[in-house]
Amino acid sequence: MLRKKMMTLALCITLLASVLTACGGGNNDKGQTASNGEVSPDSSNSTDNPYKDPMTISLGFWDADAEIANIEKDPIAKQVLEKFNITLKPVNMTWDDYTQKIQMWAASGQLPDIFAIDAVGTQYQRKWVEQGVVKALPDLSKYPNLAKYFESPDIKGLGVDGKYYTVPRRMFPSVDWSALDRMVFYRWDLAQKAGITKEPETWEEFEAMLDAIVKSDPEGKHITGLTTTTTKMLGGFFWLYGNPVATSDGSGSDFKWIKEDGKFIPAVFSKKALPALQNMKNMYEKGLIDPDIALVKPAESYDNFVAGKAAALLSGGGFINLNSDMYEKRWKTAYPDKDIMESVKALKPLIGPDGERSHAIFKTYWSESYFSNKVDDKKMDRIMALYDYVLSPEGKDLLTYGIEGVDYKIENGQKVVIEKGSLNEKYPASRFLKNLVAYETSDSYNMDNPTIANEGIRKEAVDYIDWIQNNTKVPEYDIRLTYLSTPTKDKFTVLDHDDLLKIMLSKEPVESYWNNIVNDYKAKGLDKMIEEVNAKAKEQGIE
Amino acid sequence: MADSVTARTPKRSLKTRAPKQSLGKRILQYKYFYLMVLPVLIWYALFSYAPMYGVTLAFKSFDYSKGILGSPWIGLENFQTLLTDPDFRRAFWNTVIISLMKLITHFPMPIILAIVLYEFSRTKMKRFFQTILTFPHFISWVVLSGIIINILSKDGIYNQIIMLFGGDPNSPLVDESAFRPVLYITHVWREIGWDSIIYLAALAGINPELFEAAEVDGANRFRRLLNIAWPGLKSTVAVLLILQVGQLLTQGSSFEQIFNLYSSPVYSVADTIDTYIYRTSFTIGGDFGYMTAVGVVKSIISLILLWAANSFAKKMGEEGLY
Repeated sequence: MLRKKMMTLALCITLLASVLTACGGGNNDKGQTASNGEVSPDSSNSTDNPYKDPMTISLGFWDADAEIANIEKDPIAKQVLEKFNITLKPVNMTWDDYTQKIQMWAASGQLPDIFAIDAVGTQYQRKWVEQGVVKALPDLSKYPNLAKYFESPDIKGLGVDGKYYTVPRRMFPSVDWSALDRMVFYRWDLAQKAGITKEPETWEEFEAMLDAIVKSDPEGKHITGLTTTTTKMLGGFFWLYGNPVATSDGSGSDFKWIKEDGKFIPAVFSKKALPALQNMKNMYEKGLIDPDIALVKPAESYDNFVAGKAAALLSGGGFINLNSDMYEKRWKTAYPDKDIMESVKALKPLIGPDGERSHAIFKTYWSESYFSNKVDDKKMDRIMALYDYVLSPEGKDLLTYGIEGVDYKIENGQKVVIEKGSLNEKYPASRFLKNLVAYETSDSYNMDNPTIANEGIRKEAVDYIDWIQNNTKVPEYDIRLTYLSTPTKDKFTVLDHDDLLKIMLSKEPVESYWNNIVNDYKAKGLDKMIEEVNAKAKEQGIE
Repeated sequence: MADSVTARTPKRSLKTRAPKQSLGKRILQYKYFYLMVLPVLIWYALFSYAPMYGVTLAFKSFDYSKGILGSPWIGLENFQTLLTDPDFRRAFWNTVIISLMKLITHFPMPIILAIVLYEFSRTKMKRFFQTILTFPHFISWVVLSGIIINILSKDGIYNQIIMLFGGDPNSPLVDESAFRPVLYITHVWREIGWDSIIYLAALAGINPELFEAAEVDGANRFRRLLNIAWPGLKSTVAVLLILQVGQLLTQGSSFEQIFNLYSSPVYSVADTIDTYIYRTSFTIGGDFGYMTAVGVVKSIISLILLWAANSFAKKMGEEGLY
């Protein structure tokens, strides 16, 4: 009896399934089943709304868990994702482990659909492209804002055989702006107490100021000279003494090339390197650099600088970090009555031995979005559409200024902020959504923009970058050589900040120690790499 | 009942019954023992033996799209590159020096401590000192390194004392000549208490009547130590020495300790094989195949050292591990 009942039930289920399949079969010629199991809309529906089907996209991003959880509390971020019918699934990574995690995921085929890392120029990034780990971007003509974004020279140069495999997170519109990414702030209040009356403009004046502060120790705190938030920053400052093209982002793979004695060489190995190294060593030996500089940690360095235990601080992130890490987190609690911009000054690029005012030179972007090769074309299209929107004027305004009429209004063509509270608190995920695609840090250097919340710092920031653009000149180098691929160059890294640190702390004379370092690089194939690069440059007509 | 009897006298029963019984029957007879061993065997199979297929990477060039098994074979190319890599050579010698020096400086310390603490056995001080000295073992190297860096920094106690005597402040953590001694000292500080526990247990196993009798016979402290305590400790020392030698290149050169304390000025004396593999694989982006080859070389050396230590222990009349 029971068997009979079961048979009947099974028959009914089979019949029902057949009927449903038959009904669905009519659309088979129009619809497609995506490889991820999501059914794409038929053509009539896609005309109406190309994003009709919901789509889940996994995202590997720094603190993705917390950032994506904030979307629920952010009406703007929700609105943007709803527009594209996207749900983001977080795949968490932290600043401490992201490189390791992504390499592991790549090796085990578990990469999220989108992931963020700074890998341009590294051996593993080249392999990802060659071995099909990351997906190539589709034809960008369908995404006008994204296509425009790829017109910047150093972003355009990222193409491999006519295809792009990444969307870099742009910070600045031109290399001049990278002056903001390695900045020295100094305690002007303490300098004045030590008898200094003029802001330093040359290396000698800067050293004299540090010397005065360290020797007079105005607050009796055993103050040290220059410190840094991380040793990776060191090259971004000390190479500025006559060898600015040698400045790099610390990754070891973004070194730039200059022509010396008729051939291209990495700028780090230029003849101009030795005077810069000697200048740094002299500063260290005179006690103008923190003796513990090799062991610094970001939070402690900010603490020490604000507490008056370091006269100057080399840090990244420009005035945005000055506002958030120094002013918001520390200064306003420690000195509620002291205006930070009267006590702390940003060091303008110093006049070097060549008579030039040089600043750090980087790429215009930092870190990139990559897309797993497992992402199908339909999902890729949706991701590109989201990226294109975030880069569009409408998307940028919405994610930066909030809602027009509620958070800001337009008066005489200028945006005027209405919302008095913090937009970051009101829309806690908007900034993340913007940063997912591009940092566009330069947008913050505008008196209308609320990102740098302290108006005094914002004013100083805007003036500073104006001054940079009017008073400094970027020396010549060809970014194509940085991107060039040759067998030896692909495996070659120049961790110059490590070398600077070794020279600074070594008891050996600078020249002999530097020669040892250069010989080490030679043992790793420096000469071979130079030969290969020069041959390839000639082949490609790079002079 | 029969099982429990054989369990008490396993050697004799195995010797007499083994030739007569097939393996299957024997397993059936001792099924509960085999069942008890099963989880351990499964654990080893899953987590220690199955992943060993990854060792093949040392002979391959890793291809992300093909995975470990599908990557193309390249023979001994990775090992050839390794021989010409100056960074590997530096890391190799650093590993050997640091490991051996740690063995020499640390290994006798817990034995001495255990003997000293044993002498305190009749006082409450023993428990107090044992707790104090064991405690650092439970603090991770991440935290401990923070403490050590603070102590040795410009404003730290170390430099305050140096300055008090008119010296120039400097941090041994960035000094090539001082970095390794810092490693040895901090290693002893962290592990001496913990490592002494097993020796204390061995000492506690010695019949106290032997000590009392020796005392009555007029043997002084040193004599009692040499003729009663040391023979009681010797076999434990031999086993632990073999174990430590086996782990010399991994735990001896302690990745966490060095990784948290070192910086580029001391790479030349501090970069060990483990830190080199880590930095090259993840920071610079080295080839996984090459890095596996480095790991394989390290394992082979560890195996040779283990065999040598075991043979040495056997020659000294001890049991050894196998």
